Amino acid sequence: MNEPPKRTSASKNQELIRAVWDEARDLVKRLEGSTVQRFSVEAGDTKIEIERRAGVVVADVGSGGGSGTTSAADGAGEAAVETGHPIQAPLVGTFYRAGQPGAAPFVNEGDTVDAGQTVGIVEAMKLMNQVQADVGGTVSKILAEDGQWVEFEQTLMLIEPAG
Amino acid sequence: MFEKVLIANRGEIALRVARACRELGIKSVAVYSTADAESAVVKFADEAVHIGPPAVGRSYLHIPSLIGAALKTGADALHPGYGFLSEDPYFAEICADEGITFIGPRPDVMEKVGDKATARQLMQAAGLPLLPGTVEPVNTIDEAHDIARDIGYPVIIKAVAGGGGRGMSVVTQEEDLPRLYQTTRATAQAVFKDSAVYMERYLETSRHTEIQLVCDAHGDGVYFGERDCSVQRRHQKLIEEAPSIHLTEETRKEVGEAAVRGALSVGYTGAGTMEFLLDLDGNLYFMEMNARIQVEHPVSELVTDTDLIQEQIRVAAGEKLSRTQDDVLPLKGHAIECRINAEDPDKDFAPTAGRLDTYVPPGGPWTRVDSHCYPGWMISPFYDSLIAKLIVWAPDRDKAIDRMIRALQEFEISGRGVKTTIPFHLRILDHPQFRSGDVTTDFVEHFMSEEAAAAAAAS
Repeated sequence: MNEPPKRTSASKNQELIRAVWDEARDLVKRLEGSTVQRFSVEAGDTKIEIERRAGVVVADVGSGGGSGTTSAADGAGEAAVETGHPIQAPLVGTFYRAGQPGAAPFVNEGDTVDAGQTVGIVEAMKLMNQVQADVGGTVSKILAEDGQWVEFEQTLMLIEPAG
Repeated sequence: MFEKVLIANRGEIALRVARACRELGIKSVAVYSTADAESAVVKFADEAVHIGPPAVGRSYLHIPSLIGAALKTGADALHPGYGFLSEDPYFAEICADEGITFIGPRPDVMEKVGDKATARQLMQAAGLPLLPGTVEPVNTIDEAHDIARDIGYPVIIKAVAGGGGRGMSVVTQEEDLPRLYQTTRATAQAVFKDSAVYMERYLETSRHTEIQLVCDAHGDGVYFGERDCSVQRRHQKLIEEAPSIHLTEETRKEVGEAAVRGALSVGYTGAGTMEFLLDLDGNLYFMEMNARIQVEHPVSELVTDTDLIQEQIRVAAGEKLSRTQDDVLPLKGHAIECRINAEDPDKDFAPTAGRLDTYVPPGGPWTRVDSHCYPGWMISPFYDSLIAKLIVWAPDRDKAIDRMIRALQEFEISGRGVKTTIPFHLRILDHPQFRSGDVTTDFVEHFMSEEAAAAAAAS
């Protein structure tokens, strides 16, 4: 009478991309020395195309609604994936958008941030771990709510890199 | 009984614990690092939490992430498995502070038995036999000289905080003592952050014999017989069996009762193992106590008809032991376990990480495989190299060996770059000395030099 396994995982999509990417990397290794020049790995809405040229590996990763290499994402049930650079949780804990209760959030959607700027906090056992933007740009979407429990590498917000 | 148990481990033991939980009607929560996202336990458990990157320091050893995962998922208990944080009293204490039942002994008890010098004192007081030596740490070289002269060479210097075969030196003659005393202390400080050492008589040939026990919180304890783990290489066990053919019924009862008495005398609760050396005259000497479930627990399960993990969970939940001493004795038949590791025996057992293209475990009567592997699973370089524990049972030792050989031959494992210990196990099982049961802890070393000599002669 067990329920089907439930993942409290960040994003199915992201997992899928990672799985496909792992598979692709594995294939690249196995193809070393062969004459195969181009191949693609596909699962769901995620597709990776790899073209090998004289010692150079050019990878093009596409995900539902992303670049032209993806298969048609019909968006059934799920909205198109947000674009932008993901800012991920550095560890398991509670995500806070502000330095203390009642204070103004570190960032809001639309704000411009510099690389290295603190954009949130993940608290684990009363230790406050700052989350910093690793790129500068504009906060395009905040995905995690204040006070929400997050997993390792869960995407907290997206940043549209500057320039 | 618990409602939900978080399993703070990975690999086969995490799956083993999750299976026990399901049979007990308890929900299980797996935790996983990025490298283990596709692991068997993540699929099997009722929930799974991504706790960190592959490096253990930021995942399976990272206490805040484990506690965070337990609190978030509402787990009321935590099973530490073996290795990782299973014998860390600080971790057990934090679990208690957070209202999570740690499935193991109380932190203060764990600390006492984890300190080898203290454990020796306590067990001596409880009447367990010890090798001649010290129960107090040896603090100066002068003291070391006096003690060594007293107990006679060869002596062994051991780190109080040591384990896994590290932090010990054998001294065969007096002139080596100052040097080895200093280097053992320095190693102990570097590896275990505690330079304290103790000394005892060194037995050149002995058998590794250990008693499995479980104690409940109602003052009852049961010993589940012994295991012989003499087939080991550099203190890493390769083959374990139960029972030991070198213990008489009387000795088993005597030492088993003493082990339970010793454990209860320190307020021990949960599953634990007391390690002994058995000399060639049949005398047992207490070595140390392991405050956790062990890798080789299945052989004891098969000869006692007991699910030790379920028993461990039950007593942690405050229930009484479900088995009595009379239920488990006499031990039934003979069980053997081979550890199938992703290692290359021809290259000094170097780990061989890689993806498993083929993984077909053996089946058939009285054949058990505890493993987290499946075709396509990646044996990761980040963790230990255990692929599977192959365990067989038969009415007697000879038949168990035959069955193990059959099962090993059936086991198909392959992958690019992956080598396993299966061929090595087959050669050991085929060796007349192993068949006769006359195996001491130096057997593998002799066996390997014998093979090397034969190979050299043939070339």
